[in-house]
Amino acid sequence: MDASRRNLLKAAALLLVDQWAGKYEYAFAGQPSSTAGKNERKIIIVACGGIRRTDSFQDTGLANIPHLSRELMPHSVFYPYIRNAGATSHYNTISSILTGTWQRLDDWGKTEPTSPTLFEYLRKRIGLSQDDAWVISSNKALTSRIGASSMRDFGPRYGANVVFPKQLLINAVIKAAAEGHPDHSADRTAMQPDLEAILRQADNYEGLGWSVSGDESALDLRMEHTMHQAIENLVRTNVPISGDEFTMLVSEEVMRRFAPSLLAITFSDVEVAHFGSYSMHLGGIRTMDRLVFELWNMVQTNPDYSGRTTIFVLPEFGRDFDGSTTNGFFNHRAINDSTSLTWMMCLGEAARSADVIERPIQHVDLCPTIAGMFGVKDLDIPGKPLPGLSI
Amino acid sequence: MIGTAMNERPDITQKQAPGTDAYRRLIGKLPVTMRPALNQQFTEWEMLFPYERNRVVTFMKGVETYSPSALDSLTAPLWALEDKMGVKHWDFTQAVDTIENASQLARSAYYAEWRREVQRVVDAISAAARDVTPAPVESTRLMLIVLPANLPVDPQSVWKQWDPKGHEIKITGSTEKLCQLVIQGQPGLDGIATLAARQGAQDSSDLWLIDSEAKLHGMLSQQAPIAAFSLSFSNLKPLRDKFLAELNKAPKDIEATDQIIANLRSEAWGGWGLWPPEVDSQPRLKRFLIDLILSGNGVLIFSNSFVEWTAAEVLRRARPRTIVARFGMRIKPKPFTSIAIFENQQKVSSLPDVDDPENSAIDAAILARYSWLAASRYPEQDHTICVCVAEHVDSAYVILPEGKSLGWAPDHAVAPEELYGWLGKQFIA
Repeated sequence: MDASRRNLLKAAALLLVDQWAGKYEYAFAGQPSSTAGKNERKIIIVACGGIRRTDSFQDTGLANIPHLSRELMPHSVFYPYIRNAGATSHYNTISSILTGTWQRLDDWGKTEPTSPTLFEYLRKRIGLSQDDAWVISSNKALTSRIGASSMRDFGPRYGANVVFPKQLLINAVIKAAAEGHPDHSADRTAMQPDLEAILRQADNYEGLGWSVSGDESALDLRMEHTMHQAIENLVRTNVPISGDEFTMLVSEEVMRRFAPSLLAITFSDVEVAHFGSYSMHLGGIRTMDRLVFELWNMVQTNPDYSGRTTIFVLPEFGRDFDGSTTNGFFNHRAINDSTSLTWMMCLGEAARSADVIERPIQHVDLCPTIAGMFGVKDLDIPGKPLPGLSI
Repeated sequence: MIGTAMNERPDITQKQAPGTDAYRRLIGKLPVTMRPALNQQFTEWEMLFPYERNRVVTFMKGVETYSPSALDSLTAPLWALEDKMGVKHWDFTQAVDTIENASQLARSAYYAEWRREVQRVVDAISAAARDVTPAPVESTRLMLIVLPANLPVDPQSVWKQWDPKGHEIKITGSTEKLCQLVIQGQPGLDGIATLAARQGAQDSSDLWLIDSEAKLHGMLSQQAPIAAFSLSFSNLKPLRDKFLAELNKAPKDIEATDQIIANLRSEAWGGWGLWPPEVDSQPRLKRFLIDLILSGNGVLIFSNSFVEWTAAEVLRRARPRTIVARFGMRIKPKPFTSIAIFENQQKVSSLPDVDDPENSAIDAAILARYSWLAASRYPEQDHTICVCVAEHVDSAYVILPEGKSLGWAPDHAVAPEELYGWLGKQFIA
């Protein structure tokens, strides 16, 4: 990645975190944002859009996932068969993962999940603060409603922070073009003022669709001085700027500043498949593979996360099979194993004994599993705890 | 949706709108979720291709064969399923297929069961229709797919995933010439338009030229006995740009999207001077193109997506005797292109366009195969010769109907003239 690209991403990620801090007048005081859970388990869920098994964990796809298949697989509990038995749309799938219940909602996130989310269970039951619960998403098929359910006894007061970093970049590109500055998109450093302007103008983040609420959490203002170098260290590759790259940078910054106990990241570069470019879709898979590896490495070196973190990586679903009436890899709505059957990898603390669990599992099994890892074990939901983990 | 499931034979001629009122009353006796697609077709009768008209009329003839009690009996499980799904409480439009309709169906817990039930009902009605309509006389069809010379496809893998019943052949000489020969003919053998006319083709929907660039249309003689429907991604740029701008105004909301789609479909696009001459005087082609753009992701963005989805929709809706689909080059993603991919790239970035041959070849190779897979869903495939030419590697993949065989040994390299000579004979045989 060239210097200007790095600078842009660095500056943009920094801007984001500074905006959150400024907006809610966090006092940067050298302490983590909440006391609950800072020495406890950390869970990161990485959901990475629609990826077919044939393009990933099958002979025909292993070249696209060198880090997952060669470097991470030996350290993982790997589930080759995880079924999405719900609606294979993004909002419904992420909602189902987070609630442990198959959600059948408006695909565009107009309504909240109808069962409590993991965030709500954990915040209500064990007192996690809002800074401990984040959704950072590339995918604007989600909305901020993903952070909390419509359940009366739960709801937004127990919800997660939800941000869409990629949308910031999109808005910046559109703004630059609308104002007659297409050169800004060509000269990446020139885009910085557009990014700043959007962040400052977006009233209560509505223009970006975010939901970020502050409380009395304290952050270390001095950390800001180390941010530039920290982000510089995180940007290691030469790939083009993409939504997922930026989502990753923001996620890493959130991890450094807030060290959330439960973080859900959704990548979506692979969704370029909807427009019919298979090569760009495969590029998105390779980006995801590399970013997960970077995340894994970061977890090993970040003292807030090292030794206490479990990462779950899974596609939300597959994509339609070649020859389907839904145009194959373009879409994810066929009723077929190519679309509904995918894989999941568990890394870290709960995967101390590497294994391959061939017993079929489901996306809704994540919620009770993660809740159980935090000691919340009596959830009355369809999902069942995952086998094979060291909990 | 129902249109996809129906599979009637195409060769009943219907030149005039049938008894629409009677058919609409009959549609009203079918389960609710079957009605939108059928109603839509009668509403848009003038814009349908001959195959579509035949199909919907044939289907309704099939419905007519059922007595009221037999129809009730056939559809009872689907009615019961609609009750379980709660369809009557949905905002379900019966007049036309909508995204909202599709979305409500797809998120129902009974979606898979619903699809199976609809297919069962459609299959039964289609079978009944076949018993009361004459069997068509089938003739050989041709599908020529071109991966042009500037796309460096991988010779080791380009045919690897194609239908194993096909044959890889080597072409000697100027491989690029084949496309021209097929359209223009050669001494002693007419071009494909003339051959199609000899087979009985009368309508332009029987011959399609689909082009990533703007090369095919100019190859077809003005004197050809039937005019082709010709669509070029390049020539459509003014329309694409305008459409993209309009679509990007749409909020991310299903109901609003349905409204915007309805507005865009009814928009008088002719007033903008956006149509290329080969499309401008063709109302059905214009409507087809609007529907194509509104139904196909990427059609406005990538030329290869345009070619593939156009071919798929042409095959589904028109079942042509001949289709020539030529893929092409796309530009390299610019900074932010993958982030704001649905924006007009020339507007959002001042960087010059740069070709991306390697990745264009990857895209075109899989989409060429998808084009054949689209064709292979329909019974007409049993009579279709598919030739996909990879000009860069002087190679082609040929899929033949049952009972036909190559006229030469597979290891023998054929010249384009020889290949077209053989194709022409098969076509008119």
